[in-house]
Amino acid sequence: MAGHDAGSQHQFTGMAKYFNSYTITGRRNYVLATYASLAAIFLFFKLKPKKQPAVTEK
Amino acid sequence: MTMNLFNQFLSPTFLGLPLIAIALMAPCLLYPSPAPWWQSNRWTTLQNWFIGSFIKQTLSPINTKGHSWALLLATLMVFLITLNTLGLLPYTFTPTTQLSLNMAFAVPLWLATVIMGFRNSPTHALGHLLPEGTPTPLVPILIIIESISLLIRPLALGVRLTANLTAGHLLIQLVSSAAFSLLLSQTTAASLAVGLLLLLTILEIAVAMIQAYVFVLLLSLYLQENV
Repeated sequence: MAGHDAGSQHQFTGMAKYFNSYTITGRRNYVLATYASLAAIFLFFKLKPKKQPAVTEK
Repeated sequence: MTMNLFNQFLSPTFLGLPLIAIALMAPCLLYPSPAPWWQSNRWTTLQNWFIGSFIKQTLSPINTKGHSWALLLATLMVFLITLNTLGLLPYTFTPTTQLSLNMAFAVPLWLATVIMGFRNSPTHALGHLLPEGTPTPLVPILIIIESISLLIRPLALGVRLTANLTAGHLLIQLVSSAAFSLLLSQTTAASLAVGLLLLLTILEIAVAMIQAYVFVLLLSLYLQENV
């Protein structure tokens, strides 16, 4: 399939070794990180305690 | 007037029994079964030749693992092409104008290709959600876009078939109604409408066959990506 990359010509160091858009594992890790971030944002807003209006005594 | 135009797409029932079931059985009754002897008759030979050529062309880009889908793809192709072309006969009902039927074909088959892809090689299946060489700032948005395009595939498959067939049948009814109503009062306009109707019918026969082919071709492409 077009675009299949063995990744041998790229020498990545540091974070780029795991997160890059050239090797298949790098792309996979990017996808997983994006999905995890979206899930975290969703859970944050879902579990955030709702602010209750202050009750004032008459 | 509006109700009359869409009445042709109502799923037919008789005494509460859905007749769509009988309509769906029609293709099975029309094709000859393979004979137990060496040389079949002309119809069976023609049928075998058609199915053989179609499968050869569809499965040649797919690797051996995907060849187990040959029976399913051939059956689907013959089924859809028969339903679509039979629906062009007068007073027949076309089951493939029903979105429910087309989604019932599209969703399970697309899902099967996706599950196969994730089961066989999850790394490749996930990695294909990000195009190679994407600049870093564009990565999150492109992953979201690719995910949405993946999820929209079954919807597109089902709606494409439904919309093409429904639009064609609607146009045929509109033009034929116009031709019929103009027949006595404006004969020249009526004859133009009849000419248009003839061309439209030829177009709809082509669309019926092409849409069945496109449905199966796209499914084979989704299979190719995941196998």
